[in-house]
Amino acid sequence: MAHARPIATTRSATGIPTPRLAVWWILASEVVIFGGLLGAYLMHRIGHPEWAEAASHTQTWIGAVNTFVLLTSSFTAVLAHQAAEKGKGKEAAKLLAFTILGALTFLMIKSYEWTIEIMAGYTITANTFWSFYYTAAGLHALHVIAGAIIMGFIAVDAYRGRELHRVEIIGIYWHFVDVVWIFLFPLLYIAK
Amino acid sequence: MSENNEQRDEQGHDDGHHVNYFKIYVILLILFAISVVGPEVGELTGLRWITLITAFGIAFVKARLVVNNFMHLAWERRIAKWLLASSLILLLLFVAGVAPDVMNHEGNNWENVAAKQAVERGLAAASGYSEEEAESEGPVEEVIAAGFSAQNSFGQICATCHGVGGEGDGIAGAALDPAPASFIDPVFWQGRDRDRVITVIRDGAAAVGGSALMAPWGALYTDDQLEQMADYVMSFRPNQ
Repeated sequence: MAHARPIATTRSATGIPTPRLAVWWILASEVVIFGGLLGAYLMHRIGHPEWAEAASHTQTWIGAVNTFVLLTSSFTAVLAHQAAEKGKGKEAAKLLAFTILGALTFLMIKSYEWTIEIMAGYTITANTFWSFYYTAAGLHALHVIAGAIIMGFIAVDAYRGRELHRVEIIGIYWHFVDVVWIFLFPLLYIAK
Repeated sequence: MSENNEQRDEQGHDDGHHVNYFKIYVILLILFAISVVGPEVGELTGLRWITLITAFGIAFVKARLVVNNFMHLAWERRIAKWLLASSLILLLLFVAGVAPDVMNHEGNNWENVAAKQAVERGLAAASGYSEEEAESEGPVEEVIAAGFSAQNSFGQICATCHGVGGEGDGIAGAALDPAPASFIDPVFWQGRDRDRVITVIRDGAAAVGGSALMAPWGALYTDDQLEQMADYVMSFRPNQ
């Protein structure tokens, strides 16, 4: 019997290919995870004027450099998607590699920043502001790490011209990680 | 994109959108620059609304640009938008539900004492003391950092065993043997002077042949603060 293997990507009641629908589902749950955390932070921040002192010790310029790094990596991710759509696997892989480089740069800057802060005594238990600071930025950094690892696998496939549709899927996820940082930056670094 | 057109259509994309990604990227960078410079201007001019609009207003504009043009949500099927919207609505419901309790520290028939104390402690620590002291953790360091007062420090540290009134009846002292000294006992003060009290606070009672249960606290106080502590302890001494 020559049954074709059922391929999930071609069956979709929503009109959205299944992998992309799946990533939207993931993001819908991420909205609640990050939104709940940032919402709780914002409410506490407004209720606790004394946090302004603690918040004044975050280093705006480091946060700003990292914002630039993530925005740029989002740009290379969307260019990778564009290349994949044109069937240019090698170019997509190259652009994904740049995006991974952005992720690694982001993480190195973050480690440098945290090292300075922890050495200065601003640890996760110093007070509630710093607890939120490390929890929110840490959860975000975990997403950066996960995204970079997945992108690595997809880039290897894309280089061989395989599974090019995945480039778009990881791109959507990556832009979301960028969007979270777009909100984290003013919340943790600018509002003093 | 031509060879992929049919496949793309099957996947639910209309092919009618051509985004100039580079243009979007440049706009994002310009907005980013404004969101860094704007709050500085807001701080210099003291106009808080400039900070709020440039920091948070622009964050929403940036997010919208990324979501629409990089994630292509603008061209996605409507159900994906509804999916994300329902998440956002649930999130807003959660925030609206707990906001009154988190953002206020009192209301009809209730008061969040712990939160109020945290605000007071934090503001006191923030004013006029060095960062390390203000940020240090633990009740002991907090008392020292939040403006030294012998009475507060006694209440925080000594009273645990010696009692708030210096009667040797502190909670942690009940089980100690020998029992903590009572500073209101005239007998206790026979042969004890201020120098000896300072020595005992600084080096512990064992240093003068007393019980090792009276620990040395010298690391917590400057010489001046040690004298203040001794004076406070002396104030319990009954008049003879």
